[in-house]
Amino acid sequence: MKEISGIPLDKIDDYRWSIPRSYKPGMRVPGLIYADEKLLKDIYQDKAMEQVANVAFLPGIVNNSLAMPDIHWGYGFPIGGVAATDIEEEGVISPGGVGFDINCGVRLLKTDLEYDDVKDKIKDLIYRLFSDIPSGVGSEGYIKVSPEEEREILLKGARWAVEKGFGTDDDLEYTEENGAMPGADPQAVSERAMQRGKTQSGTLGSGNHFLEVQIIDQLYDQEACKVLGLNLGQVMVEIHSGSRGLGYQVCEDYSRSMAASLAKYNISVPDRQLACAPLTSVEAKAYLSAMKCAANYAWCNRQCLMHLTRQVFEKIFGSSWQELGMFLIYDVAHNIAKIEKHKVGGKEKNLCVHRKGATRAFGPNHPVLPEKYKKIGQPVIIPGDMGRNSYLLAGTEKAMQETFGSACHGAGRLKSRTAAARSIKPDILLKELESKGIIVKASGRNTLVEEAPSVYKDVNDVVDVMHNAGISKRVCRMRPIGTVKG
Amino acid sequence: MRKIPYQLIEHTADIGIRIKSFSLAGLFKKAGIAISGLSLQRGNQKYREKHKIIIRQKASNVEELFINWLNELLSVSAVESLAFENIQINRINEYFVDAIAIGSDIRNYKINTEIKAATYHQLKVKKNGLIWQAEVIFDV
Repeated sequence: MKEISGIPLDKIDDYRWSIPRSYKPGMRVPGLIYADEKLLKDIYQDKAMEQVANVAFLPGIVNNSLAMPDIHWGYGFPIGGVAATDIEEEGVISPGGVGFDINCGVRLLKTDLEYDDVKDKIKDLIYRLFSDIPSGVGSEGYIKVSPEEEREILLKGARWAVEKGFGTDDDLEYTEENGAMPGADPQAVSERAMQRGKTQSGTLGSGNHFLEVQIIDQLYDQEACKVLGLNLGQVMVEIHSGSRGLGYQVCEDYSRSMAASLAKYNISVPDRQLACAPLTSVEAKAYLSAMKCAANYAWCNRQCLMHLTRQVFEKIFGSSWQELGMFLIYDVAHNIAKIEKHKVGGKEKNLCVHRKGATRAFGPNHPVLPEKYKKIGQPVIIPGDMGRNSYLLAGTEKAMQETFGSACHGAGRLKSRTAAARSIKPDILLKELESKGIIVKASGRNTLVEEAPSVYKDVNDVVDVMHNAGISKRVCRMRPIGTVKG
Repeated sequence: MRKIPYQLIEHTADIGIRIKSFSLAGLFKKAGIAISGLSLQRGNQKYREKHKIIIRQKASNVEELFINWLNELLSVSAVESLAFENIQINRINEYFVDAIAIGSDIRNYKINTEIKAATYHQLKVKKNGLIWQAEVIFDV
């Protein structure tokens, strides 16, 4: 046994570490952290492991409180955390286990372009993407919606955008949940949340949200790449955004009501931000209906962002997006709670799987996957930082057995924003990136510094752990050539 | 916007602040203005009109009241596109606050950091002797 910052860790193997239940009275299950020795040194520098133990207090939690290798300190749940609760065993749902940016997620689209086709136009392309796609705090979109249309978005998600001509049915086929969770109820969403959402469709937002043009620089799984139509040197586009102000308000509204649920249902948790309610309660049902609305709003948002991206490529390259081969590989949520069927102790159970900074990673032949992907498993998109790499992985059967079909969601932060601001100069950073052939356009200098490559873990290390632990397998790796930061 | 003194609390992903005042009213006022200071940078101040918004919140304890107060300010500021530059607290106790938030058009400012919400994580609002002190972590 190892002890780090007072937290005992049992080594299971080179990539798995357990926090025993005995660490804190009240833990209903152990913690299970996916990391190697190198990443573990980063993880114990903040309070993420303590948060893994705290999540283990949630009523109805099964198997383990899970942490992916990109885990870092969040508020309540760690970022990179997964927790599944059993509906039949008084399992709960916690808005904190989803977070304020409900269905923050990422989509990856391919193109038929190669590096030689874009290298002389990359600056124009990035500047045009920056000017045509609203980004930054409180950014308002060009896609204006009436209150009736906003309610439709909450129900239809990405389909609303496709019906408006902002995409095709194929885009929906390759989006998690086909771009809309059933069971969304706009009545569960407050007027204030609706107000915050009405001007923000088709906006990137700020912080770690981005739009990036990338080149495939490494193929790992030839068979999967063949199915996906991916080759070395191919230009890809990655879009990272969420549900914007509407999602923040839904989380805020229901965090308030869930705070009262703790006393009502006699639930004890070590952090108020883990406030929750039994899945069978009216409070939980109302939250889930509202959360689904916000999730659908986010899928519509990313569909609109992809539409705007395709338009920019059409202008720069003088061909239609179809001629440019700009087809969606997949879109995944990484802040969400879902009712899913998983085996626990050999029995199939209906679980509420919270993924807070974690990606669904279903293995081959899962019934919800598109026919085309049944053989290879679900595409899992792992964005890294703007100076290194991003990955495309595929879900595995082992993920179904161990992590409720979940994997990491990114590189994971290493340094605080304040530490970044103290040590990084924006002009020097821009020059460094440019010398590596990466053009960056950001809404704010603060964002640029706060999102510098050095504040993140190396995504290569994080993905190594997922691959070596068998939770997801590497398909291909991308490197950035241009980034628009919110 | 008034300059509000606060200490930053280190946090890997988010931003935390520690703030002090001789009164509960002062604490709420300072924290409310501090969230504008954390996210905004003074711009061209082209839009001169001042807007006054009544903010009333209640809660079952002072910590909950503090979070409700900050989140209401963030939410109203987003909906009304206002930067709150000053706050007048009319009435306050540990369970209720009645105030006027005074702001101008958000376009007067350059926005550095989006604050999504104030969280309960490691929240502290307490009186030590004569001093009220709060620590809060914001999701950014």
